Amino acid sequence: MAATLIRRPVDWTGIVFAVVLTLVIVFPLIVVGTWAFTNVWRFPAVIPQEFGLKFWNQTLARADVWGSITMSLTLATTVTGLSALICLPAAYAFARLDFPGRDILFFSFLAGHAFPKFGLLVAIAGIFLQLNLIGTFWGVVLIQLVGTLLFMIWIPVAAFQSVDRRMEEAARDVGAGPFRVFWSITLPQAGPTIAAAILLSFVGTFYETEGAWLIGAPQVRTLPVLMISFINNQPVIQYGAVLSVLLWVPSFIALLFARRVVNSGSFARGFGG
Amino acid sequence: MTVSDAGQPVLAAPESRRPIGLLLVAVPVLLVIWLIIWPIISAIIQTLWMRLPEGGDTFSLETYRFFFSDGYSLSNLSLTLWTTGVCAILLLVVCLPIALYLRFSDSRIAAYVQGLAIFPMFVPSIILSFAFIRVLGPNGTVDLLLNAMSLPKIRSPYLTPWGPVIGLVWDNIPLTVLILLSGLGNVSNQAIEAARDVGAGRFALLWHIILPRISNSVLVAISFAVLGIFSAFTLPYVLGPAAPEMMGPFMQRTFRELYEPRTAITQAVITFGFCIVFGLFYVRSVAKNRTP
Repeated sequence: MAATLIRRPVDWTGIVFAVVLTLVIVFPLIVVGTWAFTNVWRFPAVIPQEFGLKFWNQTLARADVWGSITMSLTLATTVTGLSALICLPAAYAFARLDFPGRDILFFSFLAGHAFPKFGLLVAIAGIFLQLNLIGTFWGVVLIQLVGTLLFMIWIPVAAFQSVDRRMEEAARDVGAGPFRVFWSITLPQAGPTIAAAILLSFVGTFYETEGAWLIGAPQVRTLPVLMISFINNQPVIQYGAVLSVLLWVPSFIALLFARRVVNSGSFARGFGG
Repeated sequence: MTVSDAGQPVLAAPESRRPIGLLLVAVPVLLVIWLIIWPIISAIIQTLWMRLPEGGDTFSLETYRFFFSDGYSLSNLSLTLWTTGVCAILLLVVCLPIALYLRFSDSRIAAYVQGLAIFPMFVPSIILSFAFIRVLGPNGTVDLLLNAMSLPKIRSPYLTPWGPVIGLVWDNIPLTVLILLSGLGNVSNQAIEAARDVGAGRFALLWHIILPRISNSVLVAISFAVLGIFSAFTLPYVLGPAAPEMMGPFMQRTFRELYEPRTAITQAVITFGFCIVFGLFYVRSVAKNRTP
């Protein structure tokens, strides 16, 4: 072990990449994190004059912050719930049943991905304008729901397909009904992947900014939308910094769960790689 | 289901070919038709048919003629094309070396580099925008550090066309690296060693052995990036100049602030037109990797 370590040449390329990427990717986020815990930081001090939690109290005392946190959580829960409700049965059908037009319907969920996203949102907004859905909660729900369909169908389809069919047949042979088989055999095996899909769609919806801004503003104000207005009009830097830290929490949870999924080759292949 | 699977359950086929499957997939499919396919068709029809003042409709290219003769619209379009092109080139220049390094190294540093390269996927672009302003904006951290070393301040890229470029490249690094890395998985070690044995240098290796084998992945990565960047909204809106602006903020403003939905939809159809080749190629590549 020690011998191989000594013989291996120093990985200079790796060190250069590691240093540059740390500077470019980690450093800016550390700066934001520092601002969030800073009471006073005046130019030109390199280190803040005073650290503290003063602005956490002030930010969390703002009604607009709580309003948008509630709005974001309500929206993401509604969209994810509806999406699971309509997509999981569909995923099961795509994985297990044969019906006319199955393949073309399966690939129809890709349609939205052939177009630049914001252009498509504007086209949808044109339809919503005639239906008076602009500026409404349900308008935003619909536009975000459409965004979750591909993930919520394709990932669970793969999960259902990878369930061991012989175990299901064995259970049926000893007299288990179809629901019993689904509950005791299919679901436990497909469950973790489906849970990952649900988590991804919740987090994705939580951060969805463009649809919420185009369709919902100014009545529907989610956390990312509030963040945009903080960046544009809020002179107190710490409000934005504290909000950034709050805003990052769901992503952090996703990071903990999804890292392994993302690093696997099948994830990149799902994006056409 | 693969062909062999489909052929096998001959007895079960009539029973499982029930239209109940159609019923189960009906709601999501109808949503796709109502909120993706119909808006696209409707956008094209709406912008091509003009309502006459005396009633009735007529075919007209008026809104498109306006877009392509309006100096401001055209400068927005060219800014968008410039940003997309620069971002695509920068992404390749940045991500290809990272992917190559990750493919051919197994040191512990490589795991760290891969973790960092994927990390931006878990940073929402709105937090990125804020971090960008705090670091590169006026009196940002870079200015602080330069000032501490008694050097002049930088010319901040904030609110210039380079602002969105930096943000969009940062944002797109993870998927570009992953897609390229997945393509590099197809380059066998034997091919590399064989070429080395006959004395190929590093660049000959890259040019003659590696690039031809990953050209498809490069195209997929570029298509994905172009689709995302061409109509990007958040980063250009927050970091970019007010005028000219990229197509994303331009469409949003036309729709919500100028209340000209028809003009906004025309702009949307124009972005479709510019991206259609990339879109179709991208969707075809995704579909090829996936059997239903």
